[in-house]
Amino acid sequence: MTAQRVAIRWVLVVVAAILQVVVVNKWHLPLGHPDLLLLVVIAFALASGSQRGALLGFWAGLFADVIPPAGHIAGRTAFAYTVVGFLAGLLEDPEENSVFATIVVVLGGSAASVLVYAGLGGLLGDARVTAGATTHSLLATVVYDVVLAPFVIPVVANFARRFEPVGVR
Amino acid sequence: MRNSRRGRLVLTILLLAAFSLITLDYRTGALNGVRSAGSTIFGPIENGVGHVTHPIGSWFSSIGHLGSYKNENAALKRRISTLEYQANLSAAEAAELKQDRALLHLAGLAQFTVVASRVTAYGSSMGFEETASINRGSASGIKKNMTVISGDGLVGRVITVGHSSSTILLANDPTFSVGIRVEGKQLEIGTVSGSGTNRPLTLELDSNTALLSPGQSVVSLGSSPSVPSPFVPEVPIGTITHVNPLAGGLTETAEVKPFVDYTAIDIVAVVVAAPKSVKHDSLLPASPTPAPTVTVTVTATPSSSSTGSTTTTP
Repeated sequence: MTAQRVAIRWVLVVVAAILQVVVVNKWHLPLGHPDLLLLVVIAFALASGSQRGALLGFWAGLFADVIPPAGHIAGRTAFAYTVVGFLAGLLEDPEENSVFATIVVVLGGSAASVLVYAGLGGLLGDARVTAGATTHSLLATVVYDVVLAPFVIPVVANFARRFEPVGVR
Repeated sequence: MRNSRRGRLVLTILLLAAFSLITLDYRTGALNGVRSAGSTIFGPIENGVGHVTHPIGSWFSSIGHLGSYKNENAALKRRISTLEYQANLSAAEAAELKQDRALLHLAGLAQFTVVASRVTAYGSSMGFEETASINRGSASGIKKNMTVISGDGLVGRVITVGHSSSTILLANDPTFSVGIRVEGKQLEIGTVSGSGTNRPLTLELDSNTALLSPGQSVVSLGSSPSVPSPFVPEVPIGTITHVNPLAGGLTETAEVKPFVDYTAIDIVAVVVAAPKSVKHDSLLPASPTPAPTVTVTVTATPSSSSTGSTTTTP
């Protein structure tokens, strides 16, 4: 069963990461784009708790750090998603979260991921991280993620609940 | 909260692991190999997914409804969706053909040896970076730092190479910079760097005596004895749109509108070999100065009217 659960998580992560760069990023929406992978991490953390949320966030982030066409220092997305996965998991509810709570988590999680990622970039002297770029990214990611959340979160949560028996830790 | 202590321990370990990776990659670039492997493994997958999602959206949505209608209706709908599919495809193919021809024209003029490729993916999950994947790699002779062009001009340079896919850093990425020459007789050289999505490129001149003016075109400098550069020379980059007033700086800076629309690149080419020198300004698009118009006058002669029509009377 464990192998199957791990496989399901990886399928979700890989599919979201590939759709992100092949489909979503090609839309070239104004200011930025939604972050599909972050929504997967949040949905999973909400269904499975902070420890599993942090773990999935780490691996999903690491995958996003190396999947082409990644061109940044590896580990930054892993760091940001680990933080978001852990925090979102603190609000775990094995049955179902209210729509309002989910929206608040997506809003906060999206903002946190951008700020942590940008903060690490600032520490590393990344020329891409300017006040303007960070503001744009923050605004776009938060708005687009909240819009996409009702479509992505239930699907992922459903997967997580079906294949992760509740109560077994 | 029974597992909160263990959860915090896991969090700490993961964050330390991520931070170690960051440090390792930052100091030594140790993860370049991992990114290359990622390009080798996931590049072809991205290419495959891109093929499916390319022009067929409407076709997919129309086949979902077929079963619920009467046979005749279904046949008609199928016919329509086939035609729509063909129309979408031929529009996409026509656009691609146009890009192909422009690209071949530019590469032919400069006598560059190029590897043509398709853009399969953009950017990353987190944004900030302007990068793209292409579906050709080391198997086609592509190496790191090679110049990437489209029919309009400079697209970027190769930063990661996998077996059959590579990653390019687009010219509008803030970490991108290229040595340039301003068009014209006098050798005004400088650096152009990116400023992010949908923003003009930034030009900074090397000398403080030169004067820039809007409308001048900028091309890549290429390697010279004083400036070693991975870029090939003379690739068109853009046009100066605005010269910034000298404000404390020693050298002049300007905004450059790129010839290439980085959000709409589809077919690009990696320059794998270039001649030592290319004639100055020979690759720039035709200037908007009015060319002499050639008027061809055709006079129809009445006597020739019988040539086209052969009438048979029963």
